[in-house]
Amino acid sequence: MSIANISKILLMGIGNTVTVFAVTLFFAIPLGLVLSFISMSKIALFRAPVRAFVFVMRGTPLMLQLFFVCFGLPFLPYVGRYLVMDRFYAACLTFVLNYAAYFCEIFRGGLLSIDAGQYEAAKVLGLSKWQVRLKVVIPQMIKVVLPPVSNESITLVKDTALITTIGLTETLHYAKSLVNSTASVLPYGVAAVFYLLMTFVLTKLFEYLERKYAF
Amino acid sequence: MNIIHAVGVKKKFGGLEVLKGVDLSVSQGEVVAIIGPSGSGKSTLLRCLIELERIDEGSIYVGGRPLVENGVYVKEKEIKEIRRRMGMVFQHFNLFPHMTVWQNLLLAPLSVLKMDKKEAEDRATEVLSQVGLLEKKNELPKNLSGGQKQRVAIARALMMRPDILLFDEPTSALDPELTGEVLSVMQDLARNDATMVIVTHEMEFAKNVADRIIFMNEGVIALEGTPKEIFENTTHARLAAFLARWDAKEQEEGQANIG
Repeated sequence: MSIANISKILLMGIGNTVTVFAVTLFFAIPLGLVLSFISMSKIALFRAPVRAFVFVMRGTPLMLQLFFVCFGLPFLPYVGRYLVMDRFYAACLTFVLNYAAYFCEIFRGGLLSIDAGQYEAAKVLGLSKWQVRLKVVIPQMIKVVLPPVSNESITLVKDTALITTIGLTETLHYAKSLVNSTASVLPYGVAAVFYLLMTFVLTKLFEYLERKYAF
Repeated sequence: MNIIHAVGVKKKFGGLEVLKGVDLSVSQGEVVAIIGPSGSGKSTLLRCLIELERIDEGSIYVGGRPLVENGVYVKEKEIKEIRRRMGMVFQHFNLFPHMTVWQNLLLAPLSVLKMDKKEAEDRATEVLSQVGLLEKKNELPKNLSGGQKQRVAIARALMMRPDILLFDEPTSALDPELTGEVLSVMQDLARNDATMVIVTHEMEFAKNVADRIIFMNEGVIALEGTPKEIFENTTHARLAAFLARWDAKEQEEGQANIG
């Protein structure tokens, strides 16, 4: 089987790969940002649930979480019947929650890195809490968190392959089927190139962002 | 009338009493320098005036309005209004590193005072010229020297047209050869009748520019007076010891520069 034909088949899976990737980044980054602010709240009642959420999401396998949301929730007593989801939505939801927990910790680190003098300068100039966050804190935080966010994004590209475990098709799923049906290792090689290409684009994008935030 | 009036100010950090009952008055147009050894509470006192630290006991009035009365602070909205009458310059400049000089200057006038853009830009041009840095307006702070950063920080404070300028050791983080440019900007401000409270280790500057010098020691005002009264005082043992240390240090630095 030619590389072109293998690629054509793998491309059938790339839609799901890219969609899970894009949906996760799109929702997990803002959610992680909100969580990071709450996790640093002075009020323990706000802080504690976020810390607990982060602990659970980071402390259990993503695959377990996928199984739990997709196959486990419907078995919950009383509410289970309302929690039957389309598998693809279940996958996206799980990825968003899991990655939000990681982003929350990355952003929290970024927030901690900002000098107290920045808050003081903003305060004596009369900026409101929201103005301080939006105009002073977050832009400086972005610079600090870009390298770890880039790292997380690259991990995410490859983690998308996990959705195959709940019966969804994606790039690796097709590669595996092809290897089995053609008795050739080539589809794995082509799939690897697919992932490398996505990672390459991401790497370039983050290099650009890091240049842009080089203050 | 006293534009700043503080009475019986006490402040603790945990178990450590940093201010043990300080009375301070500053009149309109006056330049007050606060000197004293490290840990004497001079920076804390300054920071309390603008509510960067909260006092435990005592009262502070700014322009006749209470900021805190007998240890009880006024409402957040009023604190903001009172704080807005003051500008502050920090030891470590605290410029916003992600913004150009120009953006640093315009941020607060546009987003806090809701100043008209043209008016804010005119003001920025004016204050940047005043500190001699108009040609640096599009630079990021990282491309400026320490002295230039501090001059921008002063300009940023001036943007808000404060009635009172507070300086917290404005030259302590600078290389010795860069302090002059900052001090000369401050001297110009003093000459133009700005009300200034300056915590400083620059004895020559305090001597030449201040109308009044306050010597703080161990959380209290140990002595205050005109520069002449302070620097020619030989009877106050603590002050004499403090000044002698500074003289020694100055000579050492002088020799180091020659060497």
